[in-house]
Amino acid sequence: MPSSTAHPPLALALTLLISSLTTARASDWPHFRGPTRNGISDEKAWRSTWTGDIPVAWKAQVGLGFSSIVVSDGRAATAGHADGKDSVFCFEAATGKLLWQHSYPAQLGDVYFEGGTTGTPTFDGDHLYWLSRWGDLLCFDAASGKRLWETQIATETGAPVPMWGFTGAPLVQGNLLVLNVGDAGTAVDKTTGTVLWKSEPKDAGYSTPIPLPPPLGDSGGGLVAFANTKGYLAVRTTTGAEAWRVRWITEYGVNAADPVLSGDDLFLSTGYGKGGALLHLTASGPQEVWKTKKLRTQMNAAVLHQGHLYGVDGDTTQKASLKCLDLATGEQKWEHPGFGSGGLIIADGKLLAMSGIGELLIAPASPEGFTPTARTQVFGPKAWTAPVLSNGLLYCRNNRGELVVLNLQ
Amino acid sequence: MKRRTFLRCAALAGAAPFLRAAEPRKLRTALIGSGWWGKNILKEAMASGRCSTVALADVDANVLEVAADQVNDLSGEKPKLYRDYRELLAKEKPDIVIIATPDHWHALNTIEALRAGAHVFVEKPTGHTVNESRAMLRAARESGRVVQVGLHRRIGPHHVSGMEFLKSGAVGDVGMVRLFAHSPGSGPETPTPNEPVPDGMDWDFWCGPAPLRPFSKKLHPGGWRNTLDFANGTLGDWGVHWLDQVLWWSGEQYPKTIFCSGGRPVLGPPVLNEKEQTSDAPDHQVATYQFEKFTCVWEHRRFAGNDSEKHKIGSYYYGSKGVLHIGWRDGWTFYPSTKGGKIEHQDSQLQEPDGHNIQILWADFLAAIDARKAPVASIELAHRASVLPLLGMISWRTGRSIRWDAASEQILGDPEANALLSRPYRAPWQYPAI
Repeated sequence: MPSSTAHPPLALALTLLISSLTTARASDWPHFRGPTRNGISDEKAWRSTWTGDIPVAWKAQVGLGFSSIVVSDGRAATAGHADGKDSVFCFEAATGKLLWQHSYPAQLGDVYFEGGTTGTPTFDGDHLYWLSRWGDLLCFDAASGKRLWETQIATETGAPVPMWGFTGAPLVQGNLLVLNVGDAGTAVDKTTGTVLWKSEPKDAGYSTPIPLPPPLGDSGGGLVAFANTKGYLAVRTTTGAEAWRVRWITEYGVNAADPVLSGDDLFLSTGYGKGGALLHLTASGPQEVWKTKKLRTQMNAAVLHQGHLYGVDGDTTQKASLKCLDLATGEQKWEHPGFGSGGLIIADGKLLAMSGIGELLIAPASPEGFTPTARTQVFGPKAWTAPVLSNGLLYCRNNRGELVVLNLQ
Repeated sequence: MKRRTFLRCAALAGAAPFLRAAEPRKLRTALIGSGWWGKNILKEAMASGRCSTVALADVDANVLEVAADQVNDLSGEKPKLYRDYRELLAKEKPDIVIIATPDHWHALNTIEALRAGAHVFVEKPTGHTVNESRAMLRAARESGRVVQVGLHRRIGPHHVSGMEFLKSGAVGDVGMVRLFAHSPGSGPETPTPNEPVPDGMDWDFWCGPAPLRPFSKKLHPGGWRNTLDFANGTLGDWGVHWLDQVLWWSGEQYPKTIFCSGGRPVLGPPVLNEKEQTSDAPDHQVATYQFEKFTCVWEHRRFAGNDSEKHKIGSYYYGSKGVLHIGWRDGWTFYPSTKGGKIEHQDSQLQEPDGHNIQILWADFLAAIDARKAPVASIELAHRASVLPLLGMISWRTGRSIRWDAASEQILGDPEANALLSRPYRAPWQYPAI
């Protein structure tokens, strides 16, 4: 066919090809918010109904912090803080055997919370990337933990360290590592750490960059979207050139939740009473479809499933609720009060929700209501980190660094 | 008291149309200090339906931008934004000014706002030092304007009913009062590295009359309470509420002697150098206030938080018939002395998430403006309440007991302690005249 790229069957074939490539590692959770960067896993080989305790596969102590867990090629990595040092840990995913650990001096950073690491590492093939709260950017050999390169990205780019540090996980796009550092991001060569482009030296926000798929990514090499402290914006991946910017003002500059993508719509939501909005992305930039105060995601972004958003509404200082909203209208479908500032993912159409006080709840993701089929107290508060599912194991961690891996098979 | 209660209820029920008819125009309201707490108060002003937000001031452009966005979101209004509160007052001539700056700014902000003709809602404690509070009181008297101080426990429902219970004699003869605010924590405090002043922040202006020090994220936004250049630690923050309740209950206007000790055995010595800093307020304090008819003890600690004590915050009134605890979220509870006696309890009725009663305090403020009468937490009584933690701090600093002469507002026979009723201001700011 001459005009191949636009032809539906070929496009479908390409999709299938991509799918078959990814199914080989479909049960990995290699980066923040999972394989499709939206908190969703297709994994089916696990049990969602439990009456008694769920068996624990393994446990570890990783230090203070809220860093999430990433899993790839039989390895699980996360980070934490103890005794004036940050540590990046890499475990054997199935057993919890410590494969390697790298520590470096770091501040506790206990500003209006107990401190510790807040970002999440990123697996990319044989490599693991880590951006610390303070701007230490490292590339490890995933197998050995050998440091292949490292740089101090705040010093290197002149970008200020925002109030709660750099929190967005590194995003791999081709040969680039895109970082939420500076006013409109920074990119480095993922093989060397060399800065390829950077932005104004102003405060970054706390979200992880996500790629916008074509046609939103347009013909110029794709766009990535993320937050700074005053808005959400999209930049061209290859050059850092800004495509659009939405003014989005949240208390203390805490634009933290990742944008939630749905076709060519983008759902933004932040906490401190701010609320959410559905934006329709057009060639000239985003246009507001609706606004709501019903879903104010302070930290973890909502997860979209079959036209409904599932997320945590409220701040750590309140009794935050778990909620379901209709994406088309913004209408609230249900509220589960007292959930606290936890996080959730959706796998095989089921919510795996960790409450703020460390109770795991599993329930069908349905606008009809919240009816748990399993609930178990995994650990004590605070559990602000969403659980991670990979190969039937559910990786849970709390602020005190208790990493508890449940066997859901 | 009864008339005041009636007016308050009438205003709340919206059954006072004659008051509104007298002043159909919305009250032009401005906020100085536009952070978290200032906005909490401003939201009540907006929710009252009688105020329009004309201007906001803050020395941090980031704070100002967030506040402006929230006001616009809630009311559709676009307030004018000012870095300098003096410019705001001169240009906007607001009817009402809300002051929610750190303590070290209260006096200058309040006095300037009163001189500009505004009614003032200012946060507690009134002053950072005693003579600032006196100057505020004087300016209020001279202006004839209404000054409400943010002592919302003067009007909070469970405080009102707790006081009624106490005054009814149900607790018997009260001979001792214990006030406390305990919070969890540990030590030692790790110094936080100083940082460059953030974009848009006028740090020199923020420090204002206080000594200029390097910027730290631990101080702003909102972390200044335990740094004594800007506030008076837990005693200044929580102590003023509970000491005010003691004045309310007892009818006594002042203690005769005050002794306070405390320190930082857990948090460790304060640090302030060109590289890093810690807070410097005591991690615990015990203060004894000797009144005419009873003794009142204040205590706080910021460590050893656990469940060893039933109540963490509040006041115990020890009477011949039992013990009354008036607390925060835990309401009030009476524990009778007689075996088998009935424990009585009333829940708190607070606005969450922050657990206050600003809504009804604001309604009282508006009612006072309408009626040209004293509000429930007037500057007159709030001055007397604010002096108590400030005197406690002077005793703590000098390490000795002080005797207070309320008529002359002087510490008797102790020139060194008396000197601490004021403090030097950093130029060009001038300590207000008493």
